[in-house]
Amino acid sequence: MALGTLMCILGIIFCIRTARTRFDRADSNKEVNLGITRIPALTLARLLAFVSLIVFPAGAVFLANYHTFEGVHEVRGCASCHVMLPMVNDLQDPKSGTLAARHYKNRWIAEDQCYTCHSDYGLAGNLEAKMTGFRHLARYTTHTYHEPIQARVRFDNKNCLNCHAGTPKFEAVQSHHTAHERLVSNEMICLNCHGQAHPTSVQRTPGSADYARLMERMK
Amino acid sequence: MSAEVSSEDENKSTSSDITRRDVLFTLGGLGAAIGAGAAMWGGLELMVRSRQTVDSWNKAVCRFCGTGCGVMVGMTDGRVVDVRGDELAHNKGVICIKGSMLPELTRISGRLRSPKIRKDGKLVDASWDEAMGLVAARFSECINQSGPDSVAFYGSGQLFTEESYTANKLFKAGIGTNNVDGNPRLCMASAASGYVSTFGKDEPPGCYADADYADCFFLIGSNAYECHQPIFERIRQRKRANPDTVIVCVDPRRTKTAEHSDIHLAVIPGTDLLLLNSMAFVIFDEGLHNQDFIDRHVRFSDGDHEADQAAFRKFLQPYAPEKVAQELGVSAADIRRVAYLFATSTATMSLWTMGINQRTQGTFLNNTINSLHLITGQIGRPGATPFSLTGQPNACGGVRDTGALSHALPGGRLVSNPQHRGEMEKIWNVPEGTISGKPGFDAVNLFRAMEDGRVKAALIMCTNPGASLPAAGRYHAAMEKCFTVVSDAFEDSETQRHAQVVLPAALWIEKEGVTGQGERRYQLTPKLLNPPAQARSDLQILTDLAVRLGHDKLIAARTPQAVWDEWREVSAHSLYNFKGITYDRLEKERGIQWPCPSEDHPGTARRYVEGEDPFVTKGAGIEFYGNHDKKAVVYLRPYAPSPEKTSAEYPLYLTTWPVLEQFHTGTMTDRIAELHKATGNATFDLNPEDAHTLGVQTGDRVEVKSKYGTVLGQARTTQASRPGVIFAAFYDAKLLVNRAVADNYDPTSKEPEFKVTAVSVRKVTA
Repeated sequence: MALGTLMCILGIIFCIRTARTRFDRADSNKEVNLGITRIPALTLARLLAFVSLIVFPAGAVFLANYHTFEGVHEVRGCASCHVMLPMVNDLQDPKSGTLAARHYKNRWIAEDQCYTCHSDYGLAGNLEAKMTGFRHLARYTTHTYHEPIQARVRFDNKNCLNCHAGTPKFEAVQSHHTAHERLVSNEMICLNCHGQAHPTSVQRTPGSADYARLMERMK
Repeated sequence: MSAEVSSEDENKSTSSDITRRDVLFTLGGLGAAIGAGAAMWGGLELMVRSRQTVDSWNKAVCRFCGTGCGVMVGMTDGRVVDVRGDELAHNKGVICIKGSMLPELTRISGRLRSPKIRKDGKLVDASWDEAMGLVAARFSECINQSGPDSVAFYGSGQLFTEESYTANKLFKAGIGTNNVDGNPRLCMASAASGYVSTFGKDEPPGCYADADYADCFFLIGSNAYECHQPIFERIRQRKRANPDTVIVCVDPRRTKTAEHSDIHLAVIPGTDLLLLNSMAFVIFDEGLHNQDFIDRHVRFSDGDHEADQAAFRKFLQPYAPEKVAQELGVSAADIRRVAYLFATSTATMSLWTMGINQRTQGTFLNNTINSLHLITGQIGRPGATPFSLTGQPNACGGVRDTGALSHALPGGRLVSNPQHRGEMEKIWNVPEGTISGKPGFDAVNLFRAMEDGRVKAALIMCTNPGASLPAAGRYHAAMEKCFTVVSDAFEDSETQRHAQVVLPAALWIEKEGVTGQGERRYQLTPKLLNPPAQARSDLQILTDLAVRLGHDKLIAARTPQAVWDEWREVSAHSLYNFKGITYDRLEKERGIQWPCPSEDHPGTARRYVEGEDPFVTKGAGIEFYGNHDKKAVVYLRPYAPSPEKTSAEYPLYLTTWPVLEQFHTGTMTDRIAELHKATGNATFDLNPEDAHTLGVQTGDRVEVKSKYGTVLGQARTTQASRPGVIFAAFYDAKLLVNRAVADNYDPTSKEPEFKVTAVSVRKVTA
């Protein structure tokens, strides 16, 4: 974080510097003493321009993205947009009976609870989850969304099956065998029998009885 | 640092000269950056594809059980491609495997496509006009020659409310016979008569949401895990959220429900009134009763005369746990423990179904469960309620509320009550004396009347009595003797084999109508598909028949909405008042629970409770207004052994049970490949101990014989079966276990005792 900020500030200073350099009038014979060696002033100016226009911005973008990419794994990352607060508040509410809350309080998933269920498996899944996240960010920052928000991506049963399939508890349920093919092909969603994952869209609508409680800022 | 100095010198002279070029460059850069950002966003919007596979989601209600789950039906190009639980409905998005298979129901094979008339022993295609003309002619002939009581209607808890209401009105106020009954007699009659005798009014006082508050669940004669899965899931969620919650299951079989319960009492079939009375004994004996509640809200009765608390306690003396444990087949300590948990929990919710209702003491059992709640004050608070679960999607709303049973009239009225008849004659605008004061035939007696010719013509709708009646073999012959007309969605049911005319009916979302599920909630099923070929809705068939029989003025409402509006107005003349539940509201809202007297009323989750129920007097708190003194009745109900007692000739008990993947007799679900595969063919399940005595192994063919019939089937040994009891699932038409099931019935509710039959079992060697 600090590194990123420093890089940004330095980048801005260097950019201003570069902007004030008149490359066309630079004297190619002029040399600058750097202490250890002497290099032509024009070369130095070009070097500086390269650093300020390419290296710093690229570094900043890389760091910012790295930060965002990693940050979104955490529940905190999701909670930073206020439209996500109902999901996160409910997740962390020990009294809630939603699927998300039960996974959280029983520590069935130890960390990065949102990301664990909402990124599909494999490289593409990771990428897709990130793209979805960035789309959310774009919508959020430009205020081009309305509450209650709705997921555009259909939840993939594989996210459930990857942990549950094969466990004795799962296999003991006849219906899982009956519907096996439909579950794997996502024709039938796991949620049909296992219920609500998050607060309903009605609860998340501004003005509903639960809205104020769900929107409380986390401590 | 020297580099900075040198360049600064040069720049000084030009620093203020911002040329047009600079500005353009800057603006261009900015524009490019914004463009790149917008392009990235646009790209994301395109790349994050909406994986929605359907054109539209439509709010509907599941076709199957009495839970009445709200579902969202996904349609693409006029086909049902997806069904999901409706998260905004009472079931909060939870449905079961049967509900998840609903898309398959819309493309099931073997649908009836044309009316058929039996000619030379064979059912042959006919036109609607031909078939209905024949039906009307035969009905008219019977009515004219042998009187109105020679015809009958046998309906279903799966018809829409509008259909049951119309049939009831046509037969009782039009034709003038009370021979209107149906399959709810086989599953809900005891619950209805239990509620009526205890509270004065039918239907449960509580709601499904009570499961979110109860600390003790008392499930007796209910395999909710398999039959009402979304409700059992709700109970388990309650337990997950609140691990101190106790689930007690009373069932002779170690069902899936029992497996997921904390305490399982495997009682001997037919004895559980001993358990309930014994629990009442313990509650008084240990001082766990709620005297204040009893004083304010309860009256005692022995069924004929007033009684008092002292008489009740004296009546309970022979039911001390130690005295009844042996006959019940459970330990006295367990009885005491369960009674203690029941009485002392913060809120106790009882749930029961066919194990209690399908019994010769069904009404008594229902009364006594209600009594346990009344003496402990476990009623009228969130979580505290006696809740009878319903088997069919519209037995409550369609049949019990409309009074489409042989003894009843709409809104809780009785045909035997002259005042009630007078009220209905006035409301229906028919001359005084039109409605007969003689109760019609209940299910079993209706088919017995067909057997001996008292009933000569019958219209059977949306049900398969050939498979679902007890002692089924006897009634197959009875149907042969009668002019039987069957309206059904599917070809070749056990009933149609004995029918003279078969009419193709629309199924589920092929017609519009209202259903009322187990918690007094009315919900609307929209019409989303057209029925196949010539099939019609049962309402169309009934109104057609009404016109042909000359009752077109009486049956003036011909569309679902018109019938519903009429029925809504009728309900306003009773304590069932749901005048406020309009089609408009049903389309927008997720079902509404009655009483609901006006359009701005939100509906009533908990009945008899002030602040929720509009009929409770202000300041009363709880008021059982169904009875004249506004008190609920605790009955002294003595245990009597079932007429089916095991003997040397018939040493084992036969009990039927349901399975998760199948609905009732499997007419719909067994035609869905995956569900059929999941359950396979039904077997006779017996305990390894009994199997050893009989020399039977899994896979052997056995003959199960009772006084009523003989059934051959495959045996399977399982620890789930209690020793001394043999179990068979009743969905399988090939096994058709009901041929061997006793047709004894409760003298009050007339509901047959499917759950207790004495049988002998013998290995068959090929």
